[in-house]
Amino acid sequence: MSQPFLQMRNIRKRFGAVEALKGVTLEAHAGEALALIGANGAGKSTLMNVLGGVYAPDEGDILLGGQTARLHSPLEAERSGIAFVHQEMAMLPTMSVADNLFISHFPTQMGRIKRTEVLDACRAALQRLGCTFDPRVRVGDLSPGDQQMVEIARAIMTDPKIIIFDEPTSSLTSREKQRLFDVIGALKRAGTVIIYISHFLDEAFALCERAVVLRNGETVGGGMMGDLTYARVVELMIGAQNASADREQQTRQPGAVALQVEGLRREGVLRDLRFSLHKGEVVGLWGLLGSGRSELLRSLVGLDPIDGGMLRIAVNGELRALPPGEARRWMGIVTENRRDDGLLLPMPVKTNMSIANLPELIGRIYPFVDGRREASVSQTYVERLKIKIADLRQPVRTLSGGNQQKVIVGRWLQKAPLVYLMDEPTRGLDVGAKAEIRAIISELAEAGAALLVVSSDIDEIMSISDRYLVLNRGRLVAEFPRGASKNELMAAAAGVGT
Amino acid sequence: MNRRLRNFLLNYGFYLVMALVVLYFAANSRNFLAIDNLFRLANTAAPSIIIASGLALVVMTGKLDISVGSIAFVSCTVGLLLILRQGVPIPLGLLIILLTGALLGAVNGFIVVVLKVNPLITTIGTMIALRGVAFQLTEMRAFSIPEPLRVATNARLGPITIDIVVALLAVLAVWYLHTRTPFGRQVNALGNGEEVAARLGVRVGRVTFLTFVLSGLMAALGGMFLMFQVDSINSQLGEGYEFTAIAIIVIGGISLFGGQGSILGLIPGALMLTIIQAGLNFIGASPFAYPFVRGGIIFIAMYADSLKSFVRQRGRFAEEEGDEGIRLTSP
Ligand SMILES: Nc1ncnc2c1ncn2[C@@H]1O[C@H](COP(=O)(O)OP(=O)(O)OP(=O)(O)O)[C@@H](O)[C@H]1O
Ligand SMILES: [Mg+2]
Repeated sequence: MSQPFLQMRNIRKRFGAVEALKGVTLEAHAGEALALIGANGAGKSTLMNVLGGVYAPDEGDILLGGQTARLHSPLEAERSGIAFVHQEMAMLPTMSVADNLFISHFPTQMGRIKRTEVLDACRAALQRLGCTFDPRVRVGDLSPGDQQMVEIARAIMTDPKIIIFDEPTSSLTSREKQRLFDVIGALKRAGTVIIYISHFLDEAFALCERAVVLRNGETVGGGMMGDLTYARVVELMIGAQNASADREQQTRQPGAVALQVEGLRREGVLRDLRFSLHKGEVVGLWGLLGSGRSELLRSLVGLDPIDGGMLRIAVNGELRALPPGEARRWMGIVTENRRDDGLLLPMPVKTNMSIANLPELIGRIYPFVDGRREASVSQTYVERLKIKIADLRQPVRTLSGGNQQKVIVGRWLQKAPLVYLMDEPTRGLDVGAKAEIRAIISELAEAGAALLVVSSDIDEIMSISDRYLVLNRGRLVAEFPRGASKNELMAAAAGVGT
Repeated sequence: MNRRLRNFLLNYGFYLVMALVVLYFAANSRNFLAIDNLFRLANTAAPSIIIASGLALVVMTGKLDISVGSIAFVSCTVGLLLILRQGVPIPLGLLIILLTGALLGAVNGFIVVVLKVNPLITTIGTMIALRGVAFQLTEMRAFSIPEPLRVATNARLGPITIDIVVALLAVLAVWYLHTRTPFGRQVNALGNGEEVAARLGVRVGRVTFLTFVLSGLMAALGGMFLMFQVDSINSQLGEGYEFTAIAIIVIGGISLFGGQGSILGLIPGALMLTIIQAGLNFIGASPFAYPFVRGGIIFIAMYADSLKSFVRQRGRFAEEEGDEGIRLTSP
């Protein structure tokens, strides 16, 4: 068999007290896709940051084509033919697509950017990905899916020898995803090394020839994809104790109305919505991207402005009008975009988790928070959600992507509001953690909370919902009971038969 | 539709206000709109425009340079004293002024980039310290510029002064640098977040350093024209110009959050500020009202700036709705 093009040998990386990589070894071959698999916090992104020149390893060698490579900065890595599609998008939102694609290597003539050349190259790269937008538009004005495509375009346009994809599909529609998979196929045929990280194992099985599984910063297994099974991979990932299978779904009896929404509207986004959520009930909000599902959740708690509408909330068994400013007292929201409006990135985990609950944590002297209680309460949820941290004082920025997501969920569990609004609560979580969140959602409903959950994963939403609301272009077009079929949901969301 | 109206107001409201202000002053005083007067205003504004053009680059990276006024003062002092006392030829002396400005900018850049001190704190520090240095050099006395220089710099073509020409050239040069060169684009990139820029392969330290050097250089150039306008230096030279420059930048639509705005906006920004000031003077308002009015304008401009970025953030509507497909885990 051919010699591997990329060899990473015995890579170690330590962040203070945390040993993120404990001697990882990885090999990848030209023209093949390697799936890098592991639970949240296993060290996947860190390993790729080492390869991409973002972090210098404490120990270990990287060989490209049999030669030791020097990768001390992202620029050097790029020059060595390594391209990186990051887990957290790296975008310059106020700048044009072209600027975003060329920022580190504009072609120039006597110091002046060769504009036509840049635009042509951008158009060509975008076309390869089947994108139709103009390279002169501002990236901030594109949809998240298109932004992700820009990020991918940036990676492929340097014609790299190695491309790293760190969870590239979490904000893509199925059509965009298909386009990406086609491009990956073409890249493989052209002899590129692909390293593919995803928590969707079916993607890994469909795309990749080979797999490496990491656990706690160590290589625990791998091999040809054909020799592996789904169950075997999960076992390697999480260890022998095995993934907690989804609990058998009991039918719950919904209670009284918890939240009543009437005539909620926002011009161009939400049209005259009326619905109610009941205590002890999980309502799945289903719709296409851009149908207004995230906007609906955000409007309910006042994160987005509304043009009209009335909310009523149940207080002591009585429905009471809910003034906009008070919404957050009763409702918790897990936002879709954790980095922009969920987390305080430079702040400690503890603070991020207690921030919504501070009034409850005030100690004996009035406005001061009881630090010990804050820590112990946060600690319980860290354990409950199995958040992988070294210390409660660790800044959230240094957590792995999936663990950041868990911190947000933990924040609202701690506050325990009456109504939970969850937008893609399992984005970026590993299979085990996803099951865990689903279990928590059921538990919350059984404890009497009302939940409105958005997920792009139809299987996920079908496994948790007691009832479905379907949005289409900002309008509620259908409501289904628990037993609805996948086809019914899909058809309603696409606007068929309405 | 009211959203369209709102966007229109956010984007062009400034020009609307400017037109109204001009009309108001024109209606309330004779000669205000006279060509002569307008050029006089432009001439007055020229040094601050030059200073603002360099500082704008620092602002675009999301930082501030408060030391520009002091840099202007020190550089001019060094250059002029060399001319007057050491017999340095005038052109060389002027060149030394510019080099001193660039060097002092480099000192700021060094402290910010290498010593990693917060830029605001750094430049407040250098602002105070450099003014002290200039006091030391001048012993608080005023010095006149040599006669040939006075004559040369007062040359004019009709109403057009050298100051106006240089200010226009400065703005055009910085605009070109900002929009047409990799360095300029990377300045904008830093304004979008240094961590992201670094990950995209931008050499953050180098770009930051260069913006401070340019800011110092343009401060010295602007200071030079301040000196030419009064034909001398005195201990007030450049004082308060850091805030005038920041006001011009903000009114000109360059966001203090970084990464947004056009250098060309400095021209209407500066004109607006000068017109209001001159207009107040023309209609005989109390001079004590100036700072108040100016503060008010800066506040409004900054409010519009933050409003704009808020609308931008939340202003994406599900307009291209519908047929986008559904994300599925099992295709
Ligand atoms: N800059 C840092 N400082 C401290 N700890 C860090 C830093 N970066 C990563 N870590 C730690 O290293 C471990 C591995 O993180 P990494 O981001 O590589 O995980 P991952 O496998 O990508 O997980 P996910 O699937 O959630 O994205 C985590 O425990 C994380 O907290
Ligand atoms: Mg990761």
